[in-house]
Formats: sequence, C-alpha cells, structure tokens
Amino acid sequence: MNFWVELLITILLLIGGIFVLVGSIGLIRLPDFYTRLHAPTKATTVGMGGILIASMVMMTNNQGYLSLHELLITLFLLITAPITAHMLAKTALHHENRALRRTRSQHLMECAREQQPPKPADHD
Amino acid sequence: MSLFWIPLLPLLGTLVPLLSERFGRSACALFTAILPAIALAIVLNLSLEVLQGNTLLQSFSWIPAMGLDLSFRLDGLALLFCILILGIGLLVILYARYYLSQQDSMSRFYAYLILFMTAMVGIVTSNNMIQLWLFWELTSISSFLLISFWNHKSDARKGARMALTVTGAGGLALLAGLLLIAQIVGSYDLDVVLASGDTLREHAAYPIALVLVLLGAFTKSAQFPFHFWLPHAMAAPTPVSAYLHSATMVKAGIFLMARFYPVLSGTELWFLIVSLTGLATLLLGAYIALFKHDLKGLLAYSTVSHLGLITLLLGMDTQLAAVAAVFHIINHATFKASLFMAAGIIDHESGSRDMRKLNGLWKYMPYTATLAMVAAASMAGVPLLNGFLSKEMFFAETLHQVALGSLSWMVPVLATLGGVFSVAYSTRFIHDVFFNGEPIDLPKTPHEPPRYMRIPVEVLVALCLLVGIFPGFIVGDLLASASSAVLAGNLPEYSLSIWHGFNLPLVMSLIAMLGGLVIYYNRRHLFQFQAQFPETDAKLVFERLIQSLVAGATEAHKVFENGSLQRYMVLLLLFALVLTAGPLMDLNTTAGLRPHLPIDAVEITAAVLLCLSALATMIWHRKRMIALLTLSVVGLIVSIAFARFSAPDLALTQLSVEVVTVILLMLALFFLPQKTPKESSPRRVVRDLGIAAIIGGIIGTINYALMTRPLTSISDFFLANSKTGGGGTNVVNVILVDFRGFDTLGEITVLGIAALGIFKLIARMRLFMPAGDENGRPWARDRHPVMLAVISQSLLPLALLVSVYIFLRGHNLPGGGFIAGLVTSVALVQQYVAHGVDWIKERLKIDYQWLIASGVLIAALTGLGSWVFERPFLTSWFDYFHLPWIGEFELASAMIFDLGVYLTVVGATLLILANLGKLTTSHRPTQPESE
Repeated sequence: MNFWVELLITILLLIGGIFVLVGSIGLIRLPDFYTRLHAPTKATTVGMGGILIASMVMMTNNQGYLSLHELLITLFLLITAPITAHMLAKTALHHENRALRRTRSQHLMECAREQQPPKPADHD
Repeated sequence: MSLFWIPLLPLLGTLVPLLSERFGRSACALFTAILPAIALAIVLNLSLEVLQGNTLLQSFSWIPAMGLDLSFRLDGLALLFCILILGIGLLVILYARYYLSQQDSMSRFYAYLILFMTAMVGIVTSNNMIQLWLFWELTSISSFLLISFWNHKSDARKGARMALTVTGAGGLALLAGLLLIAQIVGSYDLDVVLASGDTLREHAAYPIALVLVLLGAFTKSAQFPFHFWLPHAMAAPTPVSAYLHSATMVKAGIFLMARFYPVLSGTELWFLIVSLTGLATLLLGAYIALFKHDLKGLLAYSTVSHLGLITLLLGMDTQLAAVAAVFHIINHATFKASLFMAAGIIDHESGSRDMRKLNGLWKYMPYTATLAMVAAASMAGVPLLNGFLSKEMFFAETLHQVALGSLSWMVPVLATLGGVFSVAYSTRFIHDVFFNGEPIDLPKTPHEPPRYMRIPVEVLVALCLLVGIFPGFIVGDLLASASSAVLAGNLPEYSLSIWHGFNLPLVMSLIAMLGGLVIYYNRRHLFQFQAQFPETDAKLVFERLIQSLVAGATEAHKVFENGSLQRYMVLLLLFALVLTAGPLMDLNTTAGLRPHLPIDAVEITAAVLLCLSALATMIWHRKRMIALLTLSVVGLIVSIAFARFSAPDLALTQLSVEVVTVILLMLALFFLPQKTPKESSPRRVVRDLGIAAIIGGIIGTINYALMTRPLTSISDFFLANSKTGGGGTNVVNVILVDFRGFDTLGEITVLGIAALGIFKLIARMRLFMPAGDENGRPWARDRHPVMLAVISQSLLPLALLVSVYIFLRGHNLPGGGFIAGLVTSVALVQQYVAHGVDWIKERLKIDYQWLIASGVLIAALTGLGSWVFERPFLTSWFDYFHLPWIGEFELASAMIFDLGVYLTVVGATLLILANLGKLTTSHRPTQPESE
C-alpha cells in the first residue's frame, strides 16, 4: 500500500479513536446527566466518522473502485444519533433529573417538560 | 384396478352429500346412493369369479421399506360382507331420507354414514393387517360421529363416548395383537398370515396374540363383559342402529374372528374362550332383552344375544359350526335390520318407543305390523323363515360339543334356554306392540309411514322369506364360498333343506317355541322378580369410572406441572444432567487433538464483556430495564462474535433478531407487574446456583471437547456444490433456499402458525395497564414526539432500500430473505413506535395474516413449480442474463422462494409485535367478552 495512503488512513483512525476515547471518558467523568449527554455524541459523529472514512479510503484503495457503504452508515448515524440524544434528554426531563447548579437557564427545563413555550418574563 | 375402487368409491362418496345438499333432500339421498351402488355393482360383477372359488387380490406399494402395502382381497367372506354392507347401506340411505326430520342436517348424516361404509368395506377387503386395523379404527370414529349425531342430547353424547372408549380400547389391543402376529409370521400380508396357521399356533406368544385379537373382536361385537356399550349406542338415530348395530359394525368383530379362524382357531384355548364368552353373551342378552320396555333396548339386547350365538358357533369344534355361523351372520343381518327399521317407523309415526304405551298398533298400521311380525318370527326361529334354518343348524351343532368334557351336555341345554328367551322377547315384541289393547296416551296418532320408507323393510323381509323357503337357491353359493374362506377351503358336507326329518334339533326348537310362549304368558311373575334387583345404569358407572380416571390423571399431572417455571427448569435441567453426566464421565480426556487457534486482545475483551454482561443480567434480573439492557449487550457481543468468526449471515440475523426481541420484551415487560418480588428463599437460591453451575460446567465441557476434536461434516459438500448446484456463492443462503429448501418451507410454515397462534392468544386479551412506572410517576404525555416521528418517517425508504439490497444480494453475499424480512419488520415497527397504531392504520392497509399466507403459498408454489418441468419438488433453476446498462445478472427460482420466506417473516413479526403493541392503545378490547 502506498505510504501516503497509509498515513492518511492512520491519521483518520487516530482522530476517530481519540474522539471515541474522549467520548467514553466523558460519559464516565462528566458530573450530571445533561452534560454526560454531550460526550457520546462526539464519539458517534466525529469519532465514528473518522473511522468510517478511514475504512472508505482503505477499501477504495484495495478494491480499486469507490466504496460508498461507509457513507451510508455515516448518514444513518448522523440522522439517528441526534434523535437518540433528543429522546434521552426528553426522558431525563420527564424523570426530573437534577442538572448541575451552575447550569444556565434552568427555568426552561420546566417549560420543556410541560411542552409549553417559555414565558417572555423569564428572559434574563 | 376394480378391487381398489370398492372402498375408494364410498370414500369419494363421503363428499357427495355435502356437495348435493342444496338440490333438496331427495336429490341428496339419490346422489349419495350413486357411488355405493356402483361399488355394489362392481362387487356383484366380481362375484361370479369369487363364487367359483377364486380369491381376487390387488396391491399397491405404500411404504415398501416397512412392508406396508395398500392391498385388497376379495374372497367369499369379503364378498358376503361387501354385499351386506353395501346392500343394506343403500336401503338405509333410502330409509334415512324419510326418517330424518327437517331440522337434522341430512348431508352431515349421509357423510358420516358413507364414511362408515367406507371403513367397513375397507375392513372386509383389506389384505394387509395394518390397513385392516386402520379401517377398524375408522369405524370406531365414524360410529362415534353417528351415535352422537343428535349431539344436543346428553345420552347420545355419553353413549357415543362410551362406544368410542370401549371399541377404541379394543382397537388398541387388536393393534398389539396384529403386530405380535406379524412378528411371529414375519409379514403384515394377510395371505402369508393365513397360510402359516401352524407356525402361529405353535409359537410361545400365541396365547397373548389370541387374547389381544379376541379383545378387539369382543369389544367391537359387544360380547360379555363388554356388551354394555351397545344398548347405550341406541341413542343414535334409528337408521344408524339398523345399519351399525345390527348388520355391520357389530359384525366387524365376528368378521375378525372368521377372518382369522383358519390360523387362530383349532386350539383348546380358542374353543374355551370363544365358546364360553359366546354362551354367556347369548344367555345374558336374551334374558335382559325380555325386560326392556324400550323397543330399541329390546332389539339391542337381542342383538347382543345373537352376536353371542354367532361367537359360540365360531368357538365350537366342528367345521359345520363355522358354516352355521356364516349363515346366521346373513340371517341376523336381514331380520334385525328390518326389525330396527320397523321400530324406527313405529317411533317416527307414533312418537314413542315405550312398549308400555304402545299397544294395539295393528289397527293403525297393519302393513308395517305384518312386516315387523314376519321379521320378529324369523328372530324367534319360526319355520319357513331364515332364522329357523340357522337356529336349527346351531342346535344341531351344540349336540356335537365335546370341548367341555363331561360338562358338554350343558351346552345344548343352555342353548335351548337361550332359544326359549329369544322366543319370549320376540313374542313380546309382536304382542305388546301390535295387540294387547289400545295405545296409552301416545304423542301422535299412529299411522302408516310414507310409501318409500317401507321399501327397505319390505326388501329385507322378502329376503327373510325367500331364504327361509328356498335356502339353497338364494344363498347356497354365497354361503358355500364364504364358509370355505373361513375354513380355508375345507368345506364340510351339509344340506340347506327346510325339513331334516324328526330329530333332536327339531325337538329343541319345539321346546324353545313352547317354553317361550309359556314364559311370555307368565311374564308378570318374571317382571316382579326382576323388579327386586336395583337397576344399575351402565352409563353412570362408566362415567364415574372415567371421571375418577381423569381426576387421577390430573392429580398425577399436577405433580409435574404446577405452573412454576422454576420447577420446570429444574426438572428439565436435572434430566439433562442425568442424561449427559454418564457419557461425559466415560470420556477420558476433555481436550482433543485439534490445536487451539491463537487468541488476541479483541477476543479476550469481548469474552470478558460477554461474561460480565451475562452475570449482570443475572444479578439485576429483578430490575427489568437494566436486565434487558445487559441482555442486549450479550446479544450484541454474540453477533460480533459471529462476524468475527466468518459467519456474516448469522451476525446480520442475530443483530436484527436482537432488535426485534428487545422491542418485544419491552412490550411484554410493560404489562408485567412493575416490581418483581423476591421469590426464592436463600436455600433455593443456593440449590439453583448449584444446578446452574453444574449444567454450565457440563455444557462448557461438551463445547470444549467438541471444538478440540476434528469434525467431519457435510459442509465441504455444500461449499463445493453451492455455486455449481445452487447458483449462489453464499453457501448459507443456498443451503436455506435450495439444498434444504424443504426444511425452510417447513420452518416458515411453523413460523406462520406460531404467529397466528400468538395473534389468536392476544387478540381478545385484556391486560392490566399500569398508569405509571414503578416509582408512581405517570407516563409522559407526549406519546409520539415530533422529532422522532419525522425522522423515522424519512428513514423508512432508506431502511426499505437496505432490505431490498440485502434481499437481492442474498444469493451471493451475506443477506437473504430472512434477514431482509427482519430489517423490513424493524423499519415498520419503528413507524409504529414513532407514530402510533392509528397513524399506521390509515396508511398501511396490509393484512398481516394474508402476508403470512401468501408467503407460505409463494414458497410452496415455487416448489410445486418444478413439477411442471418434471423435476422433484423444490428443484431450483438459475441462469445468467445480460442487460445493457445493468450488466450480467443472475435469475434463480430460489429468489421467488426467498420472497416467500421474506413475506412470511415480515408478516409473522409484525402480526405479533403490532398486535401486542395495540394492546397499549385505545384499540385494546375494553368490554368483557360476552359469555
């Protein structure tokens, strides 16, 4: 395999790997549910994206024609991951999970739970 | 070919009444009679050859590997019975046309009747013992249906059940007996069996075989002590009694004894059992018949008595006795069938069968009365009627008895006593019904029946007279032919004339006549004497017996099946332990010779994760959501393992099944109690842990031992032939749709049936629906979040595209109908989750039952399609084509088969999930089901 191709794949894999690792560490280390929700999204978007593009480059190089499967997988991931996060957040709101004290605009959580528009007076 | 048609025509005739019912009652009866009439014509056509002493044989290979043939024979005995069955059957069809009321389903009655006729003809013409037994059981079943024809009546149902139990149990004994005979002789073929009488009689197992076969015959022919079911079978419509319980079915046992007479008789044991049973039945039946006030009850016990007489004749030590038995079979069938029909007419036209009410009917129906009196006289054995002739032969034979040694003189005396009672009840039948004053408050004013209802009786009574006056001319040949079949060709000298001179049998007849009249004249004293005995209803005794049996079985059953899943698991696992532990101890070394594959870090990590998540599932099994999550981790790792060890098809399947399973479990958990109580005591936990550990160890050992040994399987064959034979490079898929396509067809059928079963179970189910989770928090009000709904909807075409892709490439690359079906199902279930049932209902108008049915149908038709090209079922076809722009591609018939698989999987999955999900919505049944 061409050195430059190998280098490209390696870099992409490293980027992907680092983001998945960071996402996983974040999932353990972050203090409350809402912040923890951020971590896996990094892993699924940039992390998985990097790995998948690496796979795409390698397969294209090996097979001699453009491999597009991975793009499709990325597409599915990019569509579904935000919805998963959205549903998780909704569940957390419904369960009245406490947010960190220093989280801003906490009063909006109540409105979101009740599915009401925010009251104009609440703007700070 | 013609022999084969004799039972086949009535079999086809079973459908005729069902198809012709719409043309009216008379047309239905007419059409029904056509096929049996043709069968009778065939029999009569063949009879010329049979009467010359030939035995016609015809056989087709059925299951040659097991020695089973479809084999038919027509000898004298079979000929006689065929004429009786088909001839009287035709008369009964005519009779039933006028007997059945408008409310009775005529087609159903005729269908059962013709089915029974088929079974009887099958018994008498079978040349293979297993085939004979099959028809034998069919008579039990069809007679059950006929006796319980008026199934709204309790005694009809009870009587039918009793008849089925007794004759069915006898049938099982018969099967055992026949199998034993086949073991001894070495063939199921009746020809071979009939030719090896000596081998059989000298074999050590002969007594067992004899007793088993006789048990079958005695239960069927209502011999003492199994006679009790016959009177209770009288709850059947009278045509049934006339046909089954006088002429045919009860004669099946007699036929069996006659059929096996050449091989089973001739020993001390046979004579003792058969003659004593016959004698006891003869006396008991004749005695009880006198006291029955019910017309049909009297006839039923008289039938029992006459069957006993025939059995006694078969049990006697002379060849002439066998001739007399055959002769009495003919005579009894004619006079008893006509008597039953006459009783039916009386019941039909006067509304009662009680002889205490029926009196003086001579004035109202003189014609019927004359017919009935002639038949009853024949039953009593009056000269110039057929009953007299066979009774004379019977009396003559009793005089030659030596089997009982010095007690042999009792046989003629007891036979005469039976004759006395026979005359007495015949006299009662005539005098009580037709004379003896005026009728006492009958429901109807009696009158003559319709013209055609009398015809069957007239025909039979005419036969009684003709046989009685010209015996040699009418039945001489038939009797000789049938008797020589019973006696295996050794026909003795006998004469069929009416007058044999003044001899001892004639004196016995005269004594019977006079004695019978005297007893009837003094009947009041006898009735008073009989009234002292408490009456036991055999029906009640029988029911009590059956109920206690059922209760006992239920008790025994409860010990094993008490509803505790834990107990079932323990029993199953302990049993598995017992079965596997022994062989494993015999295994010297666990490890085989096959070298280990190298292990890398990824595999170790996955294995550790697998173990940990399995353990976690176990530890948190009472926290259901967590347990479900850890369980799905197990599933994911298993599918990764499949992918790792080169089984991409399995990995894909496992993955999609995992998704469906988790959704299914979530739905199921929703309905279960939110909190799981702690059910096991600490002691039980320790016990269960122990059992689980041992079983786990054993399964692990087996796996390890298997995987470390070289295994020769047929995978190499599949790998080599997949491309050339099945046209696909994906061996897994080629196995599924081609090599083992028949298995797959069976599997999708089972899948469809299972889905329909589950659908049926949950269709009307009303479950408790919790209003909130286990912490009392109510469910979120936003049932179908907008974001989820929109994205799911836009994902649907993509997901469907993926499933089409997986389906199409399945033949050559990982995929196929099964996985594609699961992917489609998941995509559709996703829509249910996101949008709810209402939304889907408006947009997706697919009936999932139809989807399953069409899937199975498509797969089956693909299989049948290969017959068009004269290939075996499910032969696959494939070829390569070239189209511009697309390039070369392959078309295979297996793809259509795979489409069937696909449709069935989609239908089954959605039928289950969608309907289970429906229970959580407003579509759930709310009204309690009306009783």
